[in-house]
Amino acid sequence: MTEKDFDLTRRSFLDRVLLATAGMAAAPWASAAADAEPAKTDRVRLGVIGTGDRGRALIQNIAKTRNCIVVALCDSYAPHLAKGQALAASARTFTDHRAMLDAGGLDAVVIATPLNTHARLTSDAFDAGLHVWCEKAMARTIADCGAMVTRSKAAGKVLQIGHQRMFHPTYLNALKRTRAGEIGTITQIRASWHRNNSWRRPVPADATDRQINWRLYRDSSAGLMTELATHQLQVGNWFLDAVPTRVIGSGSLCFWKDGREVYDHVALIYEYSGGRKLIYTSLLNNARYGCEEQIQGSKGTIEPELGRIYQEVPAKVLALQRMQKDVARGHKRTVPIGGATWFPELPVTTPGGSLGWGEYDETMLQFEGFGEAVRKGAPLPGLLAQAYNASVASLLGEQAMDRGVAMTWPTSLVAI
Amino acid sequence: MADLAEIERFVAMGTRIELHRFGAGDGDALSAARRAIEAVDDALTIHRPSPTTALNEALLAGREAAIDDPVLFDALVAIDAVHALTDGLFDPAADRRFAGAGWSDIAFDRATGRVRATRPIALDFGGFGKGFALDRACAALREAGVASACLSAGESSIAVVGDHPLGGGWPFAIPHPLDAGRTLVELELTDESLSISSTVGAGTQAPERAAMIRPSDGATVTAARCTVAVDRLGAHAEAMSTALLVADQDRAARLLTAPQRYLFDLSHEAAIGRPSARMLQ
Repeated sequence: MTEKDFDLTRRSFLDRVLLATAGMAAAPWASAAADAEPAKTDRVRLGVIGTGDRGRALIQNIAKTRNCIVVALCDSYAPHLAKGQALAASARTFTDHRAMLDAGGLDAVVIATPLNTHARLTSDAFDAGLHVWCEKAMARTIADCGAMVTRSKAAGKVLQIGHQRMFHPTYLNALKRTRAGEIGTITQIRASWHRNNSWRRPVPADATDRQINWRLYRDSSAGLMTELATHQLQVGNWFLDAVPTRVIGSGSLCFWKDGREVYDHVALIYEYSGGRKLIYTSLLNNARYGCEEQIQGSKGTIEPELGRIYQEVPAKVLALQRMQKDVARGHKRTVPIGGATWFPELPVTTPGGSLGWGEYDETMLQFEGFGEAVRKGAPLPGLLAQAYNASVASLLGEQAMDRGVAMTWPTSLVAI
Repeated sequence: MADLAEIERFVAMGTRIELHRFGAGDGDALSAARRAIEAVDDALTIHRPSPTTALNEALLAGREAAIDDPVLFDALVAIDAVHALTDGLFDPAADRRFAGAGWSDIAFDRATGRVRATRPIALDFGGFGKGFALDRACAALREAGVASACLSAGESSIAVVGDHPLGGGWPFAIPHPLDAGRTLVELELTDESLSISSTVGAGTQAPERAAMIRPSDGATVTAARCTVAVDRLGAHAEAMSTALLVADQDRAARLLTAPQRYLFDLSHEAAIGRPSARMLQ
């Protein structure tokens, strides 16, 4: 793709975001980022800590932005660092994040390391006077999530967490249509992230299993909850416009019994005010239902991953029931019976309508938004609260499963 | 206006059953009708252990079977009758697994109640069971003194007892299976049963719906057709609507000589999606 072609694609993408967020107060971060028109000069200088698969994907998205540039890379594992360098040839490289921070020349850091290191790296970056963009989930504990927020406020620096769905035109359009009442009152969201693989990566001879497969071990990750569910819990909170009041759940290791410590099956119910619910499942040995959030209202359903909106099919008035009423009031008329074969209440398979689709660059946009936030020294509005609540929800869900009891939403959370 | 109206709704025969009675009759008439339908369901189902599945196991294994269940016995007698009535086109033994297999491979000795087959074979009563069940329910209602009732098995099988509670026949409209806003035909029933069969429209793609099998070669019928049959007996109406669905042109023409039988060829509409129903009668 030429630069001109990319600019056209970029403009089209941003226009869709602006169209989807126009007149809607529920995604101020997205409209602010899409409306920024950042200057291409004097780019925000980023140091990326963690150049594994995710870190390298972020480097590629940062390269698409107008206002950010990767000037430093850090990873303690040499092969990952070399792969990162291949994507950002002019960036300086480090094997220790403190050395990178001490070397200076940065405006912000991007953290894409194992979950249990997020809080410490964030704190070190704030101490170095830098802004922070950090992958979700925020931290390994609810307390550390709160500490990251507190440190951000104390340092007067931007803390932004990676939740790309919050910049995705399909999600934004879905939210807009939801707020407009198109699917009626939402009382339930059914979300799932189902895969059929071990989630285990091969371990090179010069690395350890805990280094490569940190997602599978309790000290470094809450597994499916922090690595996958966090995204969808954020979507749930966003569409229900609330945080849960309570969560119950059941987690188990029932298929991949290979020495991992985190659950390979999780099933949880998050309760919200007014009896509303988010029902969440994630598992690693059946991919039929994949990744989706089914946002269920009294008038319709939205499935944002598929990019579809479905209207409820009106219930059929039973002809024989009507006949009884007719007879009761002395009125005889033809009974339009249902025709051949009554069938049971199977899932409705109407095709629904499109919420918009295409090639999106939501990860690019969240970095452009971050770049502008760094330039202004002020975070994109509303973003951190969404991320914080999503991380707390994921970790609270882990506690509910571990303890086998309902966990109420903490009252001691940090105000944002 | 009727002085009494009662409704009984329940699930049986793999569908929703509705029994509506009006006017005079014993207080437990609907309960008796329900029991009659459930007894047929218990005897003829192939979706859980039943006298029919026991019979099928024997016939598939090449064994002779004794019929102890009186409902199944009566159903086999009725099958014999409707097989002849439909020129062999209604055949509960037609099976995709055994091309060419059919009711004619079965020997049913009514005197001894024994059944044997010349090849592995299995029975699936399908829609016939619904009509047969409604017949027995109607008989139960009449025995209980009910003079006006309407019975439905999934709205594709209807039976009425007597006149409409407001007088005259019971008026029904059969919808076009491909266009909910249109009517294929309107009918009035009095002490009659109605059966609708279709290869297109609502529910025909449901996963548990059995394909319509042509008895002559065991092939699945794919033509877009909808058939309607009215008869004094529900079992006969069911067999006839099924037979019309699988009949070739000549045999369909023979079966359509009796009144209140309809065959709608919807193939053009299925292909191009615009109304052009052709009624062959």
